[in-house]
Amino acid sequence: MVREISEARDEPAWLLETRLDALEALDELPFPAVINTPGRRWTNLAELEFESFVDPLTQSDEKDHIGPDSIEVLPFSEALESHPELVESAFGSVVDPQTNYLTALSAALFTSGTLVYVPDGVDAEDVKIRTRMNSRSLFNYTLVVTGTSSSVTILESQETGADVEGARYYSGITEIDAGENSYVQYGSMQDLDQETYNYQLKEGVADTYASCNIIDANVGSRLTKTSVEVNLEGDSSESKLVGAFYGYDDQHFDIDSRVWHRAEHTTADLVTRGVIDDDARSVYEGVQDVGGDAWDTSSYQRENTLMLSDESEADASPKLIINNHDTEASHSATVGQVDAQELFYMKSRGIPEQVGKNMLVEGFYVPVIEEIEVEELRDDLQEIIQSRLMAREV
Amino acid sequence: MSSDQDQLKETDTEARFEFKKAEKSAFKSEKGLTEETIRVISEDKDEPEWMFERRQRALRHFQQMPMPTDWPGQPDLSEVDIEEIVPYIRPDIETRGGAENWEDLPEEIRDTFDKLGIPEAERNALSGVGAQYESEIVYQNMQEQWEQKGVVFMDMDKAVREHPELVKEYFMTKAVPPSDNKFAALHGAIWSGGSFVYVPEGVTVEMPIQAYFRMNSEGMGQFEHTLIIAEENSEVHYIEGCSAPKYSQFNLHSGGVEVFVKDGAHVQYSTVQNWSKNTYNLNTKRAIVGRDGTMEWVSGSMGSKATMLYPSSILKAPGATDNHITIAFAGEGQNIDTGAKVYHNAPNTKSTIESKSISKDGGRTNYRGLVHIADGAENSSTAVECDALMFDNESTSDTMPYMEIQESKVDVAHEATVGKIGDEDIFYLQSRGLDDDDAKQMIVAGFIEPITEELPIEYAVELNRLIELEMEGSLG
Repeated sequence: MVREISEARDEPAWLLETRLDALEALDELPFPAVINTPGRRWTNLAELEFESFVDPLTQSDEKDHIGPDSIEVLPFSEALESHPELVESAFGSVVDPQTNYLTALSAALFTSGTLVYVPDGVDAEDVKIRTRMNSRSLFNYTLVVTGTSSSVTILESQETGADVEGARYYSGITEIDAGENSYVQYGSMQDLDQETYNYQLKEGVADTYASCNIIDANVGSRLTKTSVEVNLEGDSSESKLVGAFYGYDDQHFDIDSRVWHRAEHTTADLVTRGVIDDDARSVYEGVQDVGGDAWDTSSYQRENTLMLSDESEADASPKLIINNHDTEASHSATVGQVDAQELFYMKSRGIPEQVGKNMLVEGFYVPVIEEIEVEELRDDLQEIIQSRLMAREV
Repeated sequence: MSSDQDQLKETDTEARFEFKKAEKSAFKSEKGLTEETIRVISEDKDEPEWMFERRQRALRHFQQMPMPTDWPGQPDLSEVDIEEIVPYIRPDIETRGGAENWEDLPEEIRDTFDKLGIPEAERNALSGVGAQYESEIVYQNMQEQWEQKGVVFMDMDKAVREHPELVKEYFMTKAVPPSDNKFAALHGAIWSGGSFVYVPEGVTVEMPIQAYFRMNSEGMGQFEHTLIIAEENSEVHYIEGCSAPKYSQFNLHSGGVEVFVKDGAHVQYSTVQNWSKNTYNLNTKRAIVGRDGTMEWVSGSMGSKATMLYPSSILKAPGATDNHITIAFAGEGQNIDTGAKVYHNAPNTKSTIESKSISKDGGRTNYRGLVHIADGAENSSTAVECDALMFDNESTSDTMPYMEIQESKVDVAHEATVGKIGDEDIFYLQSRGLDDDDAKQMIVAGFIEPITEELPIEYAVELNRLIELEMEGSLG
């Protein structure tokens, strides 16, 4: 099957080999780590029967690739032809295909993907990659490579296109290689339908003076396991990881946000804000890992969850792993409801309770939305939040 | 400053803990753990059949459960080989269940506790005191005024015989069942000694009760069990101190603590642990708190090679409150993995957790904590605050909190900070004429002050003294 996929696309030998190696390793690889506490497993991935909704040969999607002419925004197959060396060196350089069972499955079976290449010194804005998923399962790979002193802002979105009976599975791997002194903001908007199980891993490496930033917005899917990770490998590199989610019905979001300080004078700021309503459940793990060589580190993390219903559940675990004492690190996490005092103030100003509540929820997202540079992502996220709030039963 | 403080300050703390006594015992079990071991221990204690059966059940759990190895970043327990542990040593004294007069104790045991300051403390500030040497309580005394009010403070072994109905009901049945974890199961199989405290309804024990645990023999395991029952609207403060001299072979301490805080009662449980740096300290401590009851856990973890300790409170009725104050200090070769666990199972329950940790010379501290708010526990609130101070680049400081929130009408906040000692702060203190060492000690003392404030004065002094000792001369 893997051979069939690879041959149909006339892929080079190295890629076929990578795919086959990943396939072979499947049996020995674990599922992505999830949090266990006494008597509870926060997300049970092993229970999902992947075989039942993975159908590698029928994968189909529609994609828009939009970007300025000064840079390359190419479908994966085209990129393999026009930039063979770049793709070969970038593929798997940030995310080892054999990181876990689901990354290996993606590497073995992916049929869709994108290369974003920003040459040295080029500034680009508003790159847009939109995917509509039309099949039972879809495996996607996105590679972002930025040259020295370049900059780029990107939006990659996923939504469901054609109707397919039964459960679906989307798997997306994104590798970001932020070159020296470059600036990347990669934003993702996941709005798949509620029949879809979704696994995504977005990982970046920041070179010296680079700024590698990832925005992860999740509103869709039945169950999402998503990890955003940045390795600050270069001195004075920095990263801002922004997360936003809105869960309702019986959606389940398992969100990881991790940063690895591996060089001197690095800075990281992790901000996640989310709302859960109805029977939805959110699981958050944040990790700030400061290595022994990471002198003069600054690392901050904040996570806030608003619970709009009594049946929802919010689990959170913000972790600090500090191996260098020349560090300033902090994290905080809160879970609660819309502030009663603020709501009272709104009411005293003549604003009906429901309207006031919605305004406060929208306001809650402002620190996250302000970070987003691609307008389409900002607007889409705001629109979905507003429409979900409007649709709430009063 | 009062005279006893001066006296404590002047004593050389290291010498006070480090002395060793020749092993002298009336009965020493074989190494390792089999059903036979348990039978021997149980028979030597002349226990009723039901307790022996409970030990057997716990042993079966122990044999079936795997060693905990999959906790992220947990201390390495591979050295802990139960087959190498001497689980039970009965000290050579004539009076089982604790002498009532200090003078009745054998010379070397009396000398041990004299050096540790136990009789001194009793005269000055305590309602009662117990002292455990190896596996059994050797001395226990309670001031008469409390006894008259019905307060019971006795050796756990003696309580099995004298208060069987209470022990039968509460001993490892409700709070810490042997199935809870591997070391709780081990504890259930070979527990020995410890304290039984019963405070009748409405009684306030104004001065603290103290127990001191001492391991003297090499390769020994100490498995004392503490059971505290505070009836409605009663109040008690229990203090536990632990120490052992250092040997080349590892020692294992696996205590079990069960606290029942009935409606409106208030219990404070304070520990200053200074086990030698070859001791594995793996405890299970749990409290069940009733309506409007308050449980306070105050722990200072200074000693041991590896500690895994997460005192927990189950807030089972409305209005129950939990306060945790923990301080951990990890020096060279130490891995102090400690934290707190709180289950909010009823409305209007409240918890606060305050954790401070200091790591230096390659030591590792970790805060690992769980707060669970169950569905229906409306208007509950929890605030967790963890601060860590690191001295040097060989040390590690981790923070791993877990929050599970199933109820929306709650207020949950967690905050943590990690930092090094500020150069500016040191410079300021130096400009005031302090040398580098004194400046750092002063900063550390200030850092942990919110915790020492909560301790009775002699323990606060002790804790400060221990930290000074840890820091002396080794600062760069």
